[in-house]
Amino acid sequence: MSLVTAVRDYINRMLQDISGMKVLILDSHTVSTISVAYSQSELLQKEVFLVELVDNISKSKESMSHLKAVFFLRPTSENIQRLRRQLASPRFGEYHLFFSNLLKDTQIHNLADSDEQEVVQQVQEFYADFVAIDPYHFTLNVPSNHLYMLPAVVDPPSLQNFCDRVVDGIAAVFLALKRRPIIRYQRTSDIAKRIAQETAKLMYQQESGLFDFRRTEVSPLLLVIDRRDDPLTPLLNQWTYQAMVHELIGIQDNKVDLRSTGKFPKDQQEVVLSSEQDAFFKANMYENFGDIGMNIKRLVDEFQQIAKSNQNIQTIEDMAKFVDNYPEYKKMQGNVSKHVTLVTEMSKIVEERKLMLVSQTEQELACNGGQVAAFEAVTNLLNNESISNIDRLRLVMLYALRYEKESPVQLMQLFNKLASRSAKYKPGLVQFLLKQAGVDKRTGDLYGNRDFLNIARNMARGLKGVENVYTQHQPLLFQTVESITKGRMRDVDYPYVGNHFQQGRPQEVVIFIVGGTTYEESRCVALQNASNSGIRFILGGSVVLNSKRFLKDLEEAQRMTRPSTTVL
Amino acid sequence: MATRNRTAMYRKHRDAVKSVRAPLSSSASGSGGPVIEMASLLSSNRSSYTPLSTEDPGPSSGDAFTVGLPPAWVDDSEEVAANIQQARVKMAELVKAHAKALMPSFGDGKEDQHMIEALTLDITGILRRSEKRLQKLSASGSAEDSNIRKNVQRSLATDLQNLSMDLRRKQSTYLKRLQQQKEGSDGVDLEMNMSGNKSRLEDDEFNDISMNAYQMRKLKKSEQITEERDREIQQVVQSVNDLAQIMKDLSVLVIDQGTIVDRIDYNIQTVAVSVEEGFKQLQKAERTQKKGGMVKCATVLVIMCFIMLVLLMLKEIFLT
Repeated sequence: MSLVTAVRDYINRMLQDISGMKVLILDSHTVSTISVAYSQSELLQKEVFLVELVDNISKSKESMSHLKAVFFLRPTSENIQRLRRQLASPRFGEYHLFFSNLLKDTQIHNLADSDEQEVVQQVQEFYADFVAIDPYHFTLNVPSNHLYMLPAVVDPPSLQNFCDRVVDGIAAVFLALKRRPIIRYQRTSDIAKRIAQETAKLMYQQESGLFDFRRTEVSPLLLVIDRRDDPLTPLLNQWTYQAMVHELIGIQDNKVDLRSTGKFPKDQQEVVLSSEQDAFFKANMYENFGDIGMNIKRLVDEFQQIAKSNQNIQTIEDMAKFVDNYPEYKKMQGNVSKHVTLVTEMSKIVEERKLMLVSQTEQELACNGGQVAAFEAVTNLLNNESISNIDRLRLVMLYALRYEKESPVQLMQLFNKLASRSAKYKPGLVQFLLKQAGVDKRTGDLYGNRDFLNIARNMARGLKGVENVYTQHQPLLFQTVESITKGRMRDVDYPYVGNHFQQGRPQEVVIFIVGGTTYEESRCVALQNASNSGIRFILGGSVVLNSKRFLKDLEEAQRMTRPSTTVL
Repeated sequence: MATRNRTAMYRKHRDAVKSVRAPLSSSASGSGGPVIEMASLLSSNRSSYTPLSTEDPGPSSGDAFTVGLPPAWVDDSEEVAANIQQARVKMAELVKAHAKALMPSFGDGKEDQHMIEALTLDITGILRRSEKRLQKLSASGSAEDSNIRKNVQRSLATDLQNLSMDLRRKQSTYLKRLQQQKEGSDGVDLEMNMSGNKSRLEDDEFNDISMNAYQMRKLKKSEQITEERDREIQQVVQSVNDLAQIMKDLSVLVIDQGTIVDRIDYNIQTVAVSVEEGFKQLQKAERTQKKGGMVKCATVLVIMCFIMLVLLMLKEIFLT
């Protein structure tokens, strides 16, 4: 079952038994959860005529007792407080409370205390505590994502909040799927271990009754890994549709905000990119840029044909047909202009930032060897005036990640050149990255040069040549997924929590990347799912990263670990 | 998908609290003192228990919460919804009438035609009236209320639009089948005509007169048929026009699916933005009013009057 379907089922169940006019009240997190899975028009069909945020609803004093209120909130202490204030002076006729995760008994008691008017009809836990952006990809939109990079001693309470949020999100995913998994984690990551152990405690000890589902033959697998094991993927520039839009413009909860990139007419300022609602996007989200261009041209031609035939109305039948097809025509027009706008914008950005040139070097750094050639290429690009600061930073980081140990002198040269060229560069960021995700910290074979098998494979690939220079890179996740499929994941690198053990291959696997996923990785998972290998993979993360976001996390974390550093 | 119902535990606790609260209020003499004492007593027993509000003791909660009446526009919207339901029922009848009219029958089929006409007119009328009423949904009420009203409008508009499209589709299929039928029968007629003509031409000439009369009747009949068909087509064109008009008006209200306007978070944002904008405007207005030149002018004038009075008095004193 896909995650989007699970969330939709929850919402349907929430609304189905309540008749009459309803108000739906959400908080800032559940808004995202619901918006990606349910549309406004569907809500209207279910007679939900007002949607509000719980912070705003507290301010208004007007009484609307002919409406029934459906609250869908995360069970945080702030939300409970707001609810208590609401219940003390209720504005609506009936109150139906749904929480997206487990309620503590004290919270229920507090609510019951405030409910003097006895307006609450039901209190339920519906576990939709994650944002299902694609059928097999979810995110948690954790606000201070950078916390995962910090050692526990820096800010223990915030880190505890982070871990709690992640554990709640993962638990909700499994409750929605009605499964209890075997849990494995990446040995070298403390935070992955912590999250894995806390999740296990929740599922097997604290709430073991709730998680006691019908056992399948082979238990599903939850694998908790750390973003820093693959710092390469978020730094690379992307060339497949969904990943590229996120990298160059930015996607948030399947919405793209174009206002920052230029002036657009009102209806194109923000657009929706959802594989559930847009058939063209669903067919093209994993295609590379060249193919997309062709497909969009075909779409535009189709549309132009229809437009021309619409102008050619001669008989009554034509007229009737036109009026018949008008809504679809309008929808198609909106869709075509959306995709054309996006592709045009991205082409412009590619032109401005010379991304074809930069990306070629990036892919070389990521996939092929040759330190000398790499150094030369990076130096040339650093000297090139038209390359932007962020691209320079990324190139040096990519070089550093690969050739950390080889020729430190040249590495130092690159650092200095970077500092002299980029005015806003905060010194030490690359070194910070190396400290966090350097070769000593990584488990996986990021460059395919540790394992003999991988080296052989790389050589074979080099000899064969690549189809497309820009999409050569495969994220490390691909190897992980492969090793799970073949049942070859090493216990040394990915130990089990507690005394769990798994014989044979799991049928369902949830991979959670602490620190964030990327759309390139979700593409990898989607393609794997489509290949009918018998195993269904679901990918999730604390946020969805692009290079800007990843760099921001690094900067934030660096700032917090060395507060006394002065910027040169 | 797993869920957990906490209502039972909630109710249990709520009832327990109620039973504690009830004896409390009956013993309270109206002053806050004893109630506070009782509350603190209770709070010491339960660590997670927060003190009762001492402002409103007693079961007068019923007064504080009166069941309000919905605003007036809800009646309008309910009427539109009822109309839509009525239209749906009539559409079902229309479908049956269409089917009956298309079946080959011995009779003239005129009553069937009339019934179909009547039903179609009826439904179109209902839709048009509903649409007009929907447009006119009264514009009074607060910001939140107007949001609800807008959403109700949208939902009813979508239903109306779907009904209109449905109706037109049914009409056009009916017309098409009708034309097919008529052509079929005409075709047969034509054939007969042609063969009839041929055979008659070969006949003797003194059959000409009767032949002409026969031909004249045939011509008249085909004229009639053409006229009838013309009329029907005109009707359908008229209703297509009507419905097109309705759809155009409604499409302003209806949400385009799959676009940003159909996103829940976008709609919440726009509400928040407009409320905030309104608030800012109010603040600005308040500020400009305070700073208003009028107040300054008035104060200056009053002071001037005062000074003049004083001067006058001084003048009087010095003169006398």
